Amino acid sequence: MEPSRGFGAPIAGLALLAAGVVALPQLTRDSYYLDVATTILMNLALTMSLRLQVSTGQLNMAHISFMGIGAYASALLVTRVGISFWAALPIAAVVAALLAFPIGGLALRVTGPYYFLITFAFSEVVRLFFNNFFVDLFGGPSGLVGIPKPSALPWFGRALTFTTKLELYTLMAALLLVTAAVLVRLEHSRFGLVASAIRQGDLLAETLGVNVFRYKLTAYVVGSLVAGVAGAHSHQVLHSSDFGLEPMVLLVVFTVIGGTGSVWGPVAGTVLMTIAGELLRELHHYESLVFGVVLILTMLWAPDGLVALPGKLARRRRAGVSLAP
Amino acid sequence: MSIDLLVQALLNGFGLAMVYVLVALGLTLIFSILEIINFAHGEFYMLGGYVTYYAFAVFGLNYFATLGFAILAVGLAGVVAERLIFRYLRGKTLNAFIVSLGLLWVMQASAQLSFGVLDKPVPSAFSGIVRAFGLVISVERLVVSLSAIVLIAALYLFLRWSRPGRAMRAVAQDADAAALQGVDIELVSALGFGIGCALAGGAGGLLAPVFAVSPAMGALPVVKAFIIIIIGGMGSLPGAVVGGLLLGSVEGLGSLFMGSAAVSVLGFLVVILALLVRPRGLFGGA
Repeated sequence: MEPSRGFGAPIAGLALLAAGVVALPQLTRDSYYLDVATTILMNLALTMSLRLQVSTGQLNMAHISFMGIGAYASALLVTRVGISFWAALPIAAVVAALLAFPIGGLALRVTGPYYFLITFAFSEVVRLFFNNFFVDLFGGPSGLVGIPKPSALPWFGRALTFTTKLELYTLMAALLLVTAAVLVRLEHSRFGLVASAIRQGDLLAETLGVNVFRYKLTAYVVGSLVAGVAGAHSHQVLHSSDFGLEPMVLLVVFTVIGGTGSVWGPVAGTVLMTIAGELLRELHHYESLVFGVVLILTMLWAPDGLVALPGKLARRRRAGVSLAP
Repeated sequence: MSIDLLVQALLNGFGLAMVYVLVALGLTLIFSILEIINFAHGEFYMLGGYVTYYAFAVFGLNYFATLGFAILAVGLAGVVAERLIFRYLRGKTLNAFIVSLGLLWVMQASAQLSFGVLDKPVPSAFSGIVRAFGLVISVERLVVSLSAIVLIAALYLFLRWSRPGRAMRAVAQDADAAALQGVDIELVSALGFGIGCALAGGAGGLLAPVFAVSPAMGALPVVKAFIIIIIGGMGSLPGAVVGGLLLGSVEGLGSLFMGSAAVSVLGFLVVILALLVRPRGLFGGA
């Protein structure tokens, strides 16, 4: 399903997202669910930026590494260099983006499964690096601990503090909404159109004068910048395994289940799959068994993702075809 | 440093490399026919390990009969997985990634529920060591390596000369053209997936006595198989063998100079280097 190019749809979508973000903490002030909600927002930033890269036809398995680079950079800037969190946040994001240039530049020389595998190799190198090298700097296998929470900000004569879970949620919410606005704007720009052209046929796009490599690299760097922000936003503890294959795979699941054809696909996928995961938690031993079955059936029944489903059902109803898959 | 030590290190590195080549060959065969990366490949390896545990360690079947049984049973499981799931995903790399991930979770969870989470030790079928030219190798590893080489050779002969093997190569080159020539794509796809899984099952059976059997045992060989495939080139059988030898020698020599954590980084660095020199792997096609 191609995204609509109308002006109303993106504004309405962003408004809906903002309303959801504001409404979420009203449902519960329970500290566990606020943590879940904050994680959803962080994952939204990650999946939406991952989808930006997928929109040029490439699945980047090292996306989570740039979140890790942002997280470690911000943590070290605050604890070792001693600058404020608010200065460390943009610097860490820029560090992630700068590292994305050489890594993306190398990886994007190949396409398809090769790209998938080389980015996976990169992510493992980054994870093993954080885990095994410069242990007194990165904390090694036991992780980096004692990272302070963001310092208070002056706001019209008052001090905005970031100590409670709700305040940290608000910080992530603000970062996400800015990120989402930028990504949605990008989707409905010339860049989004060209990216979609590249996905549908990069050779054809190239013959029409599009510098395919530059577009892919731009998507890579912008995506990594967002991942850097998501990583830097605020952690009190860092473990290299937080930036390994397992969380990366979850991001891909959220993105693809939601649907990569639309900028809203990852949003639907992340929210619904996180809720499904929380509900399945009750099943204990059967949790991953049922989650696996859900993944298989969803992909077989909705190969273009959940956001493509309403349109598909409507077309089927019009054509008078039965709903059996 | 003496030459003996270097050769011994190389030999240690090669020791299990051929088994990982088996795992890699299965992955690359499935990729070349169905154009999908099966992330649950390690779980078929795990299945081979459990078949071996029950047939060999519990029921006391002969070692080589067990191996054959593991290959057949896991191959059959692969055919079932292809008919039920993967035949709908031919060429859809991204969707197949998610589905195989789901299958990975389903298989791991099922193994935990039915076999328990604890490691199950499988006794060695062979004991003792062989000394030759100042080198030392255990009989068990020798048998494991040689069995793997026999299986690789059998796969080569099958693909090179047999009718279904040639049909598989035809589909790998151009599925539409093969179909026009009367090749039954459905049959080739099911058979290819089954053989790919059977290779993983055989590898699991071979390594079950070397390591213990556990629900998560598939992770390590699959990562190694991925490295081998990237070095050798996706879909290339000789590439997988060369990639395996290269990885084995790098790991063997690397372990002389650094710890195991650094050696695993080394494997990935070789991958990145190899891709910089030959972006599609050493034996990869256009």
